[in-house]
Parts: sequence; C-alpha cells; structure tokens
Amino acid sequence: MAEPGDEGRPPFFRTWGGAYVFVLVVLAVEIVALAVMSWSYA
Amino acid sequence: MSTLDWVVLVGTIVAIVAYGLRRTRAPKNASTWLRGGADAKWYTIGLSIMATQASAITFLSTPGQGFEDGLGFVQFYFGVPIAMVLLSGTIVPIYYRTRVLTAYEYLEQRFDLKTRQLTAVIFLLQRGLGAGLSISAPAIIVSAVMGWSLMLTTLALGLVVIVYTVSGGTRAVNQTQQLQMAVMLGGMLAALGFIFSSLPASLSFGDAVDLAGVFGKMKAVDFSPRLETRYTFWSGLTGGTFVALAYFGTDQSQVQRYLSGESLTQSRLGLLFNGLLKIPMQLMILLVGVLVFVFFQFNPSPVFFNQAELETVRAAAPELATLEGRHAALTEQKRAVAEQWLEARHTGNELATHEQRLRALEQDDKAVRTEVRALVKKTDAHANAKDTDYVFLSFVMQRFPQGLVGLLLAVILLAAMSATASALNALGTTSVVDFWKRSVEPTLSDERGIAVARAFTVGWGVLAVAFAAFAAQLDNLIQAVNILGSIFYGPMLGVFLVGFFFKAARGTPVFIATLLAQAVVIATFVASDIGFLWYNVIGCALVVFFTLVLEPFIARPSTT
Repeated sequence: MAEPGDEGRPPFFRTWGGAYVFVLVVLAVEIVALAVMSWSYA
Repeated sequence: MSTLDWVVLVGTIVAIVAYGLRRTRAPKNASTWLRGGADAKWYTIGLSIMATQASAITFLSTPGQGFEDGLGFVQFYFGVPIAMVLLSGTIVPIYYRTRVLTAYEYLEQRFDLKTRQLTAVIFLLQRGLGAGLSISAPAIIVSAVMGWSLMLTTLALGLVVIVYTVSGGTRAVNQTQQLQMAVMLGGMLAALGFIFSSLPASLSFGDAVDLAGVFGKMKAVDFSPRLETRYTFWSGLTGGTFVALAYFGTDQSQVQRYLSGESLTQSRLGLLFNGLLKIPMQLMILLVGVLVFVFFQFNPSPVFFNQAELETVRAAAPELATLEGRHAALTEQKRAVAEQWLEARHTGNELATHEQRLRALEQDDKAVRTEVRALVKKTDAHANAKDTDYVFLSFVMQRFPQGLVGLLLAVILLAAMSATASALNALGTTSVVDFWKRSVEPTLSDERGIAVARAFTVGWGVLAVAFAAFAAQLDNLIQAVNILGSIFYGPMLGVFLVGFFFKAARGTPVFIATLLAQAVVIATFVASDIGFLWYNVIGCALVVFFTLVLEPFIARPSTT
C-alpha cells in the first residue's frame, strides 16, 4: 500500500502532470495519424 | 491437429499455470490471498490489466471485425488513455488513502452501507454473467472449428481457471496473466508475420495496405456525428472514455489488479502503461484481420467461415452449390483484377479503373455471402448466421504451419482463462468483503477468511461454468449480456463520481438517484436505437443530476 513519499516523481518525468501530458500527446499523435490515413484512402 | 500442435498447446498452458502457482506459494491468510501481498510492480499490474480486458473474443472477433469492416473498431479504445490519466490522478489515490479491498467498500466510507451493497450487487450480477460468457463464447467457436465436444471444452477451461484462482488467489492471477499476456502478444505478432509472408511475393507491405484501402478497410476514423453509428470518433472519445472510466475505475475485476500494487506509484504506472499500449495492440489485432482479407484477394476463400454450419446447410439445401460456384467465380475474377491492379501500380495505367472493378466485384461477392447467410438462417432458425468470429480461427487451422496452430489456439484459450480468472477472483473477493464479513460474520478472522474466500470463488466458478453450458444453447444471450454491461456501467460510474466530486452529497439521495438512473437507462434501451456506448454517458449524467435535484428534499440525519 501507499508509503510516505509515494506521491513523488514518476520515472523519466519531473511531475505526474508531465507523465499524464505525455500519454495524452501520444493519443493525439495516434488519432491524427489514423485520421490522415483514413482521409488518404477516402 | 498435429502432435506438435498439441504439445505446444498443452505445454504452454500447463507451463504458465505451473509458473503462476509456483511463484505464488500457498497464501496463509485472507489479506494475502485477496491483495496478492501488495507487492506487484508496474509491469505486472499493466500486463495483468491488459490480460483481464483481453478476453478470447478479443482474439477471435477483433480480426473478424478487421476482415469485415476494417480498422474502425479501434475508435472504441480512444477513451482508454484519457481514462487511465483521469483514474491515476483521481480515483486511485483515493482508494490507496482509504485502504479499501474493494471499490464498493469505499462507497460505505463515503455514503452508507446500502449504497455499497447496491453497487456490489450490480457488480456481482453483471460480472457473474460475464464470467460465464468469457468461457462459453470461445468454447462455442473453438469446439465448432476443432470438432471438440462443447461441453468438455467448457468444463476443461472452467476447471483449470478455478483450480489456480482458488489455490493462489490474486497473486496467482497476476503472475499467470503476465505470461499469458506475453504469449498472447507474441502469438499475434507471429500470426501477423506469417500472414504477411503468405501474401504474393510481389506484394510489398505498402501494396497490401493500399489494396485494403481500395476496399475501405483502412478507414480508422469516422468523424460523422450520427448517434446510431456504433463506432465513431465522437462515440469513442466520449462513450469510450466513460466505459473505460467505469470499467477500470469501478469494476472490481480491474480495481483488484492495481490495488495489488506495491505502491501508488506502481499502480499509476501500470495504468499508464495500459493507456499507452492499448491502441497499438488493438490496431495490430485488427490489422491481422485486414491482412487476412488481402490474402483472400489472391486465394480462394470459403463462402461462409463456420464450416460446421456450412456442412449442415450443404446437406439440406442444394442451392448452396450454386452460390458457392458464383462465389468461386467472383474470387477468381477478383484475383485477376488484383494482379492487374498490382501491375498498374508500377506502370500507372488504368489504376482507377481496376480499383472500381475491384470494388464492384466485392459488392457482388458480398451479395452472394448475404444470400448464403440467409440460407443458413432458413435451414436452421437457431443457427448463428454471423461468421466473422470464425474467420481468424478457420484461417489459422487451414493455413498456419504446425506448431503455430498450437500457439494460436493457446493464445485464444489463455485469453479466455485470464479474463475468467480476474472475474472469479473479484467475485469471490466482493462476496466476502462486501457481504459475508460486513453483514454475516463481522468477526471473521484472517485465517478463516481465506477458506470463505476460496469457497465463494469455487461457488462463482461453478455458477460461471453452469451458465456457460446454458449460454452455449442461446446465441442471442451473448449480445444481450454485452449490452447489459453498458446498461449498468453508467449509473455505477455516476455513484463514484458523486462520491469523489460532490462533497455535500449523502447516501440516501445517491441511492435513490442510482435506482432512478438505472430505470431510465433500461427504458432508453427498450424504447430507442441509440448506440449502446451512449448508455454509459446517459446513466452517469443522470445519477449526478438526480442526486443534485434530490439532495435538498431529503432530510439530513440529526447530528446531535
């Protein structure tokens, strides 16, 4: 279970906010890439 | 199936279960059994979360969906990364802070006992039926394709899962799921590689994808705002986010996976890992189906992929032979035009004409296949006329080399086991924590608790297998129970959201709001054609709305 200091930095990121933004940016890139692909075959 | 395939199939399953049990050692008390020692790392949690969601139907239906409709189904998963971020930032820290064993336990701390047990009952009903289906749905397909006894397949699958879930508890489920997920991903990658290598040598990967694109299979994103279209960008982003929030945030079969984490950090990382991998994994599985479609542009395909059903029709309806003849002729024409198209890609001559001809031939072939489906239904009114779930497995059986057939069958059966194991684990835990220990035997000791937890898990396992055997006779039930999940998830999420974000809300208004919202969602399901993903949004919003409306009218309990 949770221990002191547990809320600290995630690996590779300064803050959890940074990790969350990274996941959402990856999602945005995936959606844009898939949308461009879909249009190119329309 | 060859001896080598049997060795690979049985060897893989036995090795994984043995590994899981060996790593687990016999848990001595209920806390360890329920929480798995609370020492899981992020990769165990992430893989376990993915394995719980990846049922056998994921590996049977999803390639079939790719084959039939292309990549559009991937939109359903657009909400997963968003939900993982929201859960990591909000719900998961609250679960850790309140030190709960089940998601519903939190609701008593926040509201009252009746709200906790109402949501726990909803979960038990829905997941109990779901556990049965996660065994029966693949058992129906695998037994039909392999010629195995349906009853024996169902019993064997159920028994193996019950044994390791009951003996090792949460840790055994987590440990086996790590390996199960690795085998599943490895198996699908090998399948992708093999299918690509089976395409004509002159066809590059780019050619294959472009050929699929000619038939509209590469349309992954649909921005049309129609509510009746099941998978669009909008329904994926909103409905999909709500489904994922409800499923990962409030369904005990998932909550139990990340509550077994060593720390909050490990649990959050496990969820984000799932958020990053989910879309690429689903795309890969859909792509397998798309490549099978491309393969059949150059090779003869069956007119209907459920061979057992086809044989029944052949014996009863002589007109099938005519339809098969038309399908074979169209396939031959398509192959010739596909080769001309391939040549034209390099010379640039009449490319558009070939593409038009390919699309026209595909339309004609679709019409023939629709006629065959109607014939199947006419011959046997109870037959399943939808054959897309059989596309991938029948392709594996007929085209894959020895060894790889066993591996792919292992992937499908392991997926069935991993989804069922999480469900049984969570059903047993909720029964003990939210009902038995709370309302029947509050003095339940840690030592006796493990026996009670095991007894409940066996009970749910037996019920699941019995339901699976029954569900196998009623095909439409499968779709009904899938929709049932969406009917319950919205209000369930609503209760938790009110708990987290509306500090003034109390138990009785929330309880009544949940019952009202549930009634409205059921009425919507009965009276409208709205795509079922939207039920999640409606149910959740209604619980919040009714709670806010009811709150001022229900007297607060005296605080003297």
